[in-house]
Amino acid sequence: MLMPGRRSTDHGVAPHGGAKKTYWGGGAENGSSPPGAAALRGGSERGRARGWALRLACVGAALLGASGGLTACNGFLGASNESGSEDALQVDRPASASRFRRLTHEEWRNTVQDLLGIDPSELSAAFRDDPRAAGFLFDNNAATLEVDQALAAAYQRVAAQIAAELTGDSASLKALVPEVGDDDEARIRSFIEQFGKRVHRRPLTEDQIEAYVALYDVGRSSFDDAPGFGGGVRLLLEGFLQSPYFLYRIESSEEERDGVIPLDGWERAQRLSYFFWATMPDDELFAAAEAGALSSKEEVEAQARRLVADERAASVVERFYTQLFEVDRYTRIQPSSSVFPDVSARLASAAAEETRRFVRYVMYEEQGGIADLLTSNVTFVNADLAPIYGLTGTFDTDFSRVELDPGERSGVLTQIGFLASNATSVNPDPIHRGVFVAKRINCLNIAAPPDAVPPLPQAGDKTNREMVEEHTEVDGTSCKSCHASVINPFGFPFESYDAIGAYRTEDNGKPVDTSASPPIGGVRVDVTDATELAHTMASAAAVHECFAKHLVEFAQGRTSVSADEGIVSKLGAESLTGVDFKEMMVRLAVADSFLNRATEELP
Amino acid sequence: MKVSRRVILRGLGGATLALPFLEGFSDRRADAADETVDPFVIFLRQANGVGAQQTFTLNEGPPITEPERFWPREVGPLTPESLEGRALEELVDYAGKLLVVRNINMENYDYADGHARGALQCLTARGPVVPGVGGDSEADGESIDHRIGRELNPGGSDSLFLYAGPAGGWLGGPCISYRGSDNRRSALHDPLVAYETMVGQAGGLSPEAIAQLVERNRSVNDLVRDQLVALRSSPRLSSNDRQRLDLHLSSIRDLEATLTCRLSQSQEMELAGMGTLYNSGDGDDVFATVRAHMDIAAIAVGCGYTRSVAIQVGNGNDGSTRYRHSVTGDRMENFHYVSHRLLTHGGEGDVYQGADELHHEVDRQFARVFKYLLDKLSSYPAGDTTLLDHGVAVWLNDLGNGPAHSPRNVPYIMAGSAGGFLKQGEYVVLDEGDRTPNLARVLNTLGSAAGLRKENGDLIDDFGDPELDRRPHPDLMA
Repeated sequence: MLMPGRRSTDHGVAPHGGAKKTYWGGGAENGSSPPGAAALRGGSERGRARGWALRLACVGAALLGASGGLTACNGFLGASNESGSEDALQVDRPASASRFRRLTHEEWRNTVQDLLGIDPSELSAAFRDDPRAAGFLFDNNAATLEVDQALAAAYQRVAAQIAAELTGDSASLKALVPEVGDDDEARIRSFIEQFGKRVHRRPLTEDQIEAYVALYDVGRSSFDDAPGFGGGVRLLLEGFLQSPYFLYRIESSEEERDGVIPLDGWERAQRLSYFFWATMPDDELFAAAEAGALSSKEEVEAQARRLVADERAASVVERFYTQLFEVDRYTRIQPSSSVFPDVSARLASAAAEETRRFVRYVMYEEQGGIADLLTSNVTFVNADLAPIYGLTGTFDTDFSRVELDPGERSGVLTQIGFLASNATSVNPDPIHRGVFVAKRINCLNIAAPPDAVPPLPQAGDKTNREMVEEHTEVDGTSCKSCHASVINPFGFPFESYDAIGAYRTEDNGKPVDTSASPPIGGVRVDVTDATELAHTMASAAAVHECFAKHLVEFAQGRTSVSADEGIVSKLGAESLTGVDFKEMMVRLAVADSFLNRATEELP
Repeated sequence: MKVSRRVILRGLGGATLALPFLEGFSDRRADAADETVDPFVIFLRQANGVGAQQTFTLNEGPPITEPERFWPREVGPLTPESLEGRALEELVDYAGKLLVVRNINMENYDYADGHARGALQCLTARGPVVPGVGGDSEADGESIDHRIGRELNPGGSDSLFLYAGPAGGWLGGPCISYRGSDNRRSALHDPLVAYETMVGQAGGLSPEAIAQLVERNRSVNDLVRDQLVALRSSPRLSSNDRQRLDLHLSSIRDLEATLTCRLSQSQEMELAGMGTLYNSGDGDDVFATVRAHMDIAAIAVGCGYTRSVAIQVGNGNDGSTRYRHSVTGDRMENFHYVSHRLLTHGGEGDVYQGADELHHEVDRQFARVFKYLLDKLSSYPAGDTTLLDHGVAVWLNDLGNGPAHSPRNVPYIMAGSAGGFLKQGEYVVLDEGDRTPNLARVLNTLGSAAGLRKENGDLIDDFGDPELDRRPHPDLMA
């Protein structure tokens, strides 16, 4: 597992940081927290453990009592004691949030495509990658999406290139700027008002219109190769594409009513379109906003249902799950060529494609939900994957839908991608599998291991499980508290799948033992294997609530906080009754927490 | 309609840049006899330690001792003899300009991961924002490259942070440069984008066309700035929203009519022709990208665009790059496996036979690519010497060795005296070889070498964790 001086990789406390991010300079003497202070005060807003989840803390060896072991991995079960009552959990209220969410690069691409009818994917390749937001599972954390010099320069270059292309000839110009009235002035003013409304995703103010008119006037004499009207439009387009009203999803509503700040129709249209389609509102949404219809929850719901049924929503759902299941981690899959000589070199990419197809199938063909994701024995295989699943028949590079043995396979956690990406090159890795399932499926917080953890020993004549147990559940060590109570019970059921995800009944000549008693919803549940674990989790309120939390974080672009407990509980409970995932998204979109802002701003 | 970003620059496919001729550089340097060149620092980061002498165990087997393959044979003046047989002998041509520093020790902060401890500390001398979170760690302070850019670059423009290797991976890919506490910077992955970020406008324009471009750019920038100022005026903004808007506002830069330093058009085309090499996991592609980044870095410091550049090679544990043996051409396993001496990212697995020699081979390859940078900097005349002598290039690691992932004896190989500030031609051992954490002292020294000063004109001693000794180290200074 670990070498001296090396630390575990995935064990972490709840997502941290964010509240004290500093921009120029930084460190204790500049006003941010001194090292370690975040931990001492319980972490920043993103760092606090979620109150309603089982909270476990793998404290250091120094805190172990005479009994050691389990007493050191302690916590409380059940509902949060932060809000004070069960009733409070059902209150759906908006949390404080950013007013400026910069478009992700994908949102930028989609928006430009819908705004201008071009495919800008090659252009956006010039955008530098956004930095990883530590502890946040998705790529849309509003607090970390910035415009630095490199990105501002890239926006500038790309805007100039797009503007030149779209105004390069009279036909393109005419298509972009419809002829209105008798002169250029009327035509351009109309264009600024109408096109600008789409760029800003709301009507322009008179000052904004005048500023764009002034820019147009400059542009008329700024291009030797595009004099007059064409040059003016070209510079105008450059300005539109670099405007913060285009690059950010801005929410400026301030009027309070009944304890919240209702978003206006334009803001609601924007929230809906970016949540469901990761792009700007379409004409129908704009029309609804213009007519004031989105002040009605019924109309919001109608729009939400329309949006979720579209193929574009399927892409968003796929993106949600590929990030949640760390599909990009599948690139780590590198089984030993000596132990697994027949494994395809394309295993990682094939496994990723399997997961993507599986998600789309469950969510959009089967109208399924969380439970189906965890229990379905359907999957998609090609020639690279079929042998690992023990399938006979003819397979080629194309993917085929198959049904696996339900006694051996149940849902995404028994598919090759998850299993092989959480394995060493030769053995399954119950520790990383267990941590993943505990944290991402059950939303349990697990502290990082203490310093100087010795590596796993040689298995010798032991099974993998025996070796891991012997090493991590030693009486009197701080490891036992978390390994014995949380990590290993979630990981050992997966011992029936080897390092590449193939099913096995023996390990090192002995029968594989997949029995365990993981803590699900605060209660220890006996399971005999991974399929039983998957089915048990599929019917556990805590697991559905965990997925609901992830969905809220994805929709809101921020880490969940106590104010989200109401909507998370509600969505989790509904999912448990069989509400499918698309319906969960619709119900989230009509929630008060989605359609309104909190009266209190972030600090 | 698909709009191509390469409509102006057409690629030629795969070639690395030849020695660039800078259209404006020669003119700018023509009367350089009396012109001072501002000092600068270029950082090149390698992961996973080096093939130094070490003893360790694998899979609870008997102790394994590897011989010294990296550090010079003896302390003192660097000679071909002292470098012979070691990875550093690849730099023998620059022996007189090197400062090889042994016994640089990082603080053993609780990052809960050796790679996080090293990569996030190597330029910040800071501990984690939240201890013990391993791969979710963030550094609790600004990095020295950003500090240099912030204080010394024209108009406070960002220093360059360049990345070579596949995207993502351990620690999220780019992870060594920080704007501030918990505020990791984005890196530029594509050398062409890095170049375009620097020069700002297409090449081959007449002075009149450039003037028009500058004016257009300013008009748009003024509108955008006005809009940002208006948005920022809302009293309801959170501090994070305000800071992000401020960053955006400060990031809008007007093109300068006098900016002339750029590659020739054919070299711009070569850069464009690199395609997606920069996102490859093949070691040869990675090093090709690094060399392109070095070309950009040399232009950047030579033309005064920035006083610091950081080039990160590989992600947090460089576990996605597979280097090729320079003799056999065979691809090794990923470099993280090599450093572990095991065929695994964890601590147990098949022993990777011969991995120690492969580690040495990789060290040599890094030494060669570092030499490429030194050659590049030495090729540009600056006064009566070369660009190299006016700055310092630093080849650094974030670990001292492979299997043990030690925070001690972390190599920082320096070349160039930064205008006579730093020693040259020597192999020194700091602090008599004791285990005192002294990285902060080294970074304050390098920052001072680049030109950072306190208000009273003294060398800086305020960078990094205030709990550490941050005084510039006299053993490094000439």
